[in-house]
Amino acid sequence: MARMKFICDTERCIECNGCVTACKNEHEVPWGVNRRRVVAINDGVPGERSLSVACMHCSDAPCMAVCPVDCFYRTDEGVVLHDKNLCIGCGYCFYACPFGAPQFPQAGAFGLRGKMDKCTFCAGGPEENGSEAEFRKYGRNRLAEGKLPLCAEVCSTKALLGGDADVLADIYRQRVMTRGKGADIWGWSTAYGKPDAPAQPPAAGGKS
Amino acid sequence: MKRDTTILQRALWMVCVLGALLGGTASLAAGPAAAEQAQRQQSQPLNNAPVWREVRSGEQHVTNIKGVDTGVLIQSGGQTWRTLRNGPITLYGGIALCAMVVLLAVFFRLRGPIMLSGEKTGRMIERFSTLERTAHWSMAISFCVLAASGLVMLFGKHVLLPVFGYTLFSVVAVVCKNVHNFVGPLFIMSVLVFIVLFVRDNVWRSIDALWIRKAGGLLSGEHVPSYRFNFGEKTWFWLGVVGLSMLVGVSGLVLNFPNFGQGRFVMQGASIIHVTGALVVMTLSLAHIYIGSIGMEGALDGMKTGQVDEAWAKEHHELWYDEALQSRPAETHAGSMPAPARV
Repeated sequence: MARMKFICDTERCIECNGCVTACKNEHEVPWGVNRRRVVAINDGVPGERSLSVACMHCSDAPCMAVCPVDCFYRTDEGVVLHDKNLCIGCGYCFYACPFGAPQFPQAGAFGLRGKMDKCTFCAGGPEENGSEAEFRKYGRNRLAEGKLPLCAEVCSTKALLGGDADVLADIYRQRVMTRGKGADIWGWSTAYGKPDAPAQPPAAGGKS
Repeated sequence: MKRDTTILQRALWMVCVLGALLGGTASLAAGPAAAEQAQRQQSQPLNNAPVWREVRSGEQHVTNIKGVDTGVLIQSGGQTWRTLRNGPITLYGGIALCAMVVLLAVFFRLRGPIMLSGEKTGRMIERFSTLERTAHWSMAISFCVLAASGLVMLFGKHVLLPVFGYTLFSVVAVVCKNVHNFVGPLFIMSVLVFIVLFVRDNVWRSIDALWIRKAGGLLSGEHVPSYRFNFGEKTWFWLGVVGLSMLVGVSGLVLNFPNFGQGRFVMQGASIIHVTGALVVMTLSLAHIYIGSIGMEGALDGMKTGQVDEAWAKEHHELWYDEALQSRPAETHAGSMPAPARV
């Protein structure tokens, strides 16, 4: 079985927020909830990079570990999903998650939390695949239709990739190899000096 | 009219200067990391290590998505929170509660209830007014409701879930969550009223040293004279009510009202304080409930009816008893009258 993963290529993301918009529209996400967001680092200055982030569907998911009603489960493809019928809106998953993926629609006065909502890797929830109940609670189940997450599919620069980890790894490896210019490979010049720097003469008395 | 324009111009100028100053500070703050990345991609193309360090820093970056902490890419505090809550807090908290129950059961078995050594006189003396009892029981009942619902949130997954199954346990948990959130503020209010009513008689006095020296006579069975409250009760007041209950209460308010935009770091800290403090105060409260009910003859009557037997008052709170006799109207003094009708 494939292990589903996301990867965001910082060399390609142009902070267009297309993934955010596509996700919101596809799943008809409630007002105030964003399952995906784009964050820019060094915004507007040289060295700027941006990243699209949502639920990363961790192997050792903190949300799953702290949920007091144990409403999370993992699919055969490694996607972390939750059962909104069980969720009590306590917010613990939000405290535990490093990525800020769990979101809570406001359900009453004083910030009373409704049932948690997060990225489903476009894999719906425990309800019957493609059913009305599933769509209402979790949005479209694209995986069941043989499609990949819409955020990644819609990404104009293919910075955001989502799907079988082995395939993603091959694509990313290809990119790195294509981008890399000989000895300019990541970190080499830190370890071995600049490629055009004169070679260090061997230490006197040492073996050749 | 001209003067107004001048003021407006000055105000605008001020705003511009302030804005420029703030902007300058902001770009300076963003400066070093950005400059390092800019320099790094010149010397080592495609090396984004400075950016990844910023990703990992847990600081706010720029995003168009509104909400709490949305500019943070990776917040590491959750891991600490998870480790503490799922680990030592659940484990040692559970052990502490169980150990206290066992300890009290053993103590009860060995020592039995602390009985009055003399005969009951049948003459009653007022120990707690109606207002004091109302404050105590409001606090006690809300405390028990909060303790029970809170325990379900922490231990329910391990204890109740296997028995109830997912659906029923979820119903129980959602009821507990909402009850906990609404009773919490009521508890804080009753604690505040309680503190105001009882603080005067809980101030430490020199006689408390005697109680400490004799460990309250708990083991010897000796009665140590005290004013209205002995040192044990005063400790419970300052530690349990003023200290821990307020600590748990305030941290609970932080968790209860997420609408003020507290970030995850604040929530994680508040949660750890709340759960730890609550487990300590719950464990200690078991001892208080024990000594106030089955552990001592006549103790519950005081809080139930407000009246205690004079024999009880003389044995347990001799100095308070003497004071009460002094301030009593003369006609009811020292058994010159028959016992009141309510006995």
